[in-house]
Amino acid sequence: MTISLHKIIPIPLKDKFLQRGSDVWNTVIDFNKGEWIKIKAPSGTGKTTLVHTLYKLRTDYEGKVSWNNKTLKETGDDELAALRQQSASIVFQDLRLFANLTARENIELNRVLQQPYYESSRIDEMAAQLGVSHILTQRAGLCSYGEQQRIAIIRALMQPFEWLLMDEPFSHLDINNTNIAASLIAEECTKRGAGFILTDLDEDHHFEYTRYLNL
Amino acid sequence: MLNQLLKKLIRSSTGRSRFILAIVGLSVALLLILAAVQIQANYNDLLNNKTNQDSVANFLVINKAVTSSNVGATTLSQADIDDLKKQPFTDAAGVLTPSHFKVSAQGASDRIPFYTDLFFESVPDEFLDVNNKDWKWGDQSTFIPMIIPNMFLDMYNFGFATSQNLPQLSQELVMNLPIQINIKTALGNVNYYGKVVGFSDRISSVLVPQSFMDWANNKYGDQADKAKPSRVVIRTKDAGNPQLTEYLRSHGLTTDADKTRFSKYRQIVTGVVNVSWVTGAVMMLFALLIFTLFIQLTIASCKEEIALLVTLGTAPKQLQRFLMKQFFPSNVVIVLVVLIVISVLQLLLKKILDTQHIYVNGMISVYTIIAAIIILAVLWLVNNYTIRKYIYQQR
Repeated sequence: MTISLHKIIPIPLKDKFLQRGSDVWNTVIDFNKGEWIKIKAPSGTGKTTLVHTLYKLRTDYEGKVSWNNKTLKETGDDELAALRQQSASIVFQDLRLFANLTARENIELNRVLQQPYYESSRIDEMAAQLGVSHILTQRAGLCSYGEQQRIAIIRALMQPFEWLLMDEPFSHLDINNTNIAASLIAEECTKRGAGFILTDLDEDHHFEYTRYLNL
Repeated sequence: MLNQLLKKLIRSSTGRSRFILAIVGLSVALLLILAAVQIQANYNDLLNNKTNQDSVANFLVINKAVTSSNVGATTLSQADIDDLKKQPFTDAAGVLTPSHFKVSAQGASDRIPFYTDLFFESVPDEFLDVNNKDWKWGDQSTFIPMIIPNMFLDMYNFGFATSQNLPQLSQELVMNLPIQINIKTALGNVNYYGKVVGFSDRISSVLVPQSFMDWANNKYGDQADKAKPSRVVIRTKDAGNPQLTEYLRSHGLTTDADKTRFSKYRQIVTGVVNVSWVTGAVMMLFALLIFTLFIQLTIASCKEEIALLVTLGTAPKQLQRFLMKQFFPSNVVIVLVVLIVISVLQLLLKKILDTQHIYVNGMISVYTIIAAIIILAVLWLVNNYTIRKYIYQQR
């Protein structure tokens, strides 16, 4: 599945972006199947805007985004739901867990939203790997940000996907936990032959990126 | 599993009391509306039912009211009769043919001696409430069958006999009494043998078979005064029909007032049923509103959860299906419970009315069930519409 961007530019940031060059904004660019893409950008240059645009959480932009030649703006509710269930998974910067559900229920929800990709025992394996087994029965709202972030990562990996969108996915994790999480993500992407788009503030070597872009 | 999680996300935020309130409102409204349908159905049943139809109230003997201005001129013209037949409330009309000869009756045996001058009338058999194998007359007949009003016998037994110190007579006795009928002709009396074969509650006259009447009128009748009927019997679905009462009044006709008095009650019943209809409909409207608001509130109170669910890839259709499953079954249960309640009430009503010899169906009517299904369909549509509207709004 190819993601194509055709001269997209967020309307609220239009003037600001037109003045400076970018590898992504206002260009024609394709993200090809299986590519591991790192997008680096300083604060306030639209990392989250880009991720939300690709995921169709916002549509206030000019230009055209398409998944496999299907224009995102023309994608209907049901198609979009199917895309999010089968092809696109996401780790939000603001995590977005259901505060009233337990950590396990948060993960489980994304597992059973479609035909499950994994057995639910896989939740325990991943949680053990990332060191969050002990908080699975806790309400997500009571977990620390670091714990919530790992839960959000496990949640994203619980579903089938061809593209994984990650918006500063390790912002609340120490270097050790980051490495563990990164290797789990790499393993899962390799298994699916999936690509990812990861945005972050700085250079890093958590993955063997196939492409570096500056926003 | 998904449904369990959704339930936890969406149910937790709405109050149980509001739900109960919405349910109770809907139940009461439904009960009123369906009860109104059932009452209406029962009412129609009573008017059209075969068992009830044959009762006294549905046959009316109509004649011109005798007033000081029309004494001696109370015959009904053919036009009058035809017009009456044309009226929507008239199912059938039959003319009461009067006899045009003088007739008297006397006891045929010496045991019960009596003598009375008499008259005959006849009416087509379909208007009679007496079934008797003896009710026929032909050239070979050895006696003239007669039907007399029950009232006659009552008057004799309880008024005349007691005051005159005479024996009271049972129906059986009267029917076994040989009666000598004398028809007066210009050449003297012609004697026949007559027999009472039945008692009528419907027509207050001494009735003989139509065939005898035609024959006798022809043979002994005063040709100058060719049969001009002055009384008509009609069969009507509803003697209490206000239209009928109004027609009679405007044409100077009259009938047994006791039977048409029902028309006043009828109007009251119709009024009550209508009020019940309107109240039910208005309540239904409010109940729907409450239920809609409840759905709206439920969705609004967890709009963040819904937004996040959609973000994570829940299809709005999935959510809609889930919410329908949350709300609609309660509606189905309400409708079923209300139908059961009405069935029980109907059964009780039947038991009570049976003791009064008013026969209604013990089962609830098809119309009530159809109405319930229609209301259920409306509820489904309203639920579906509301859920759809607000889910798409929250997105």
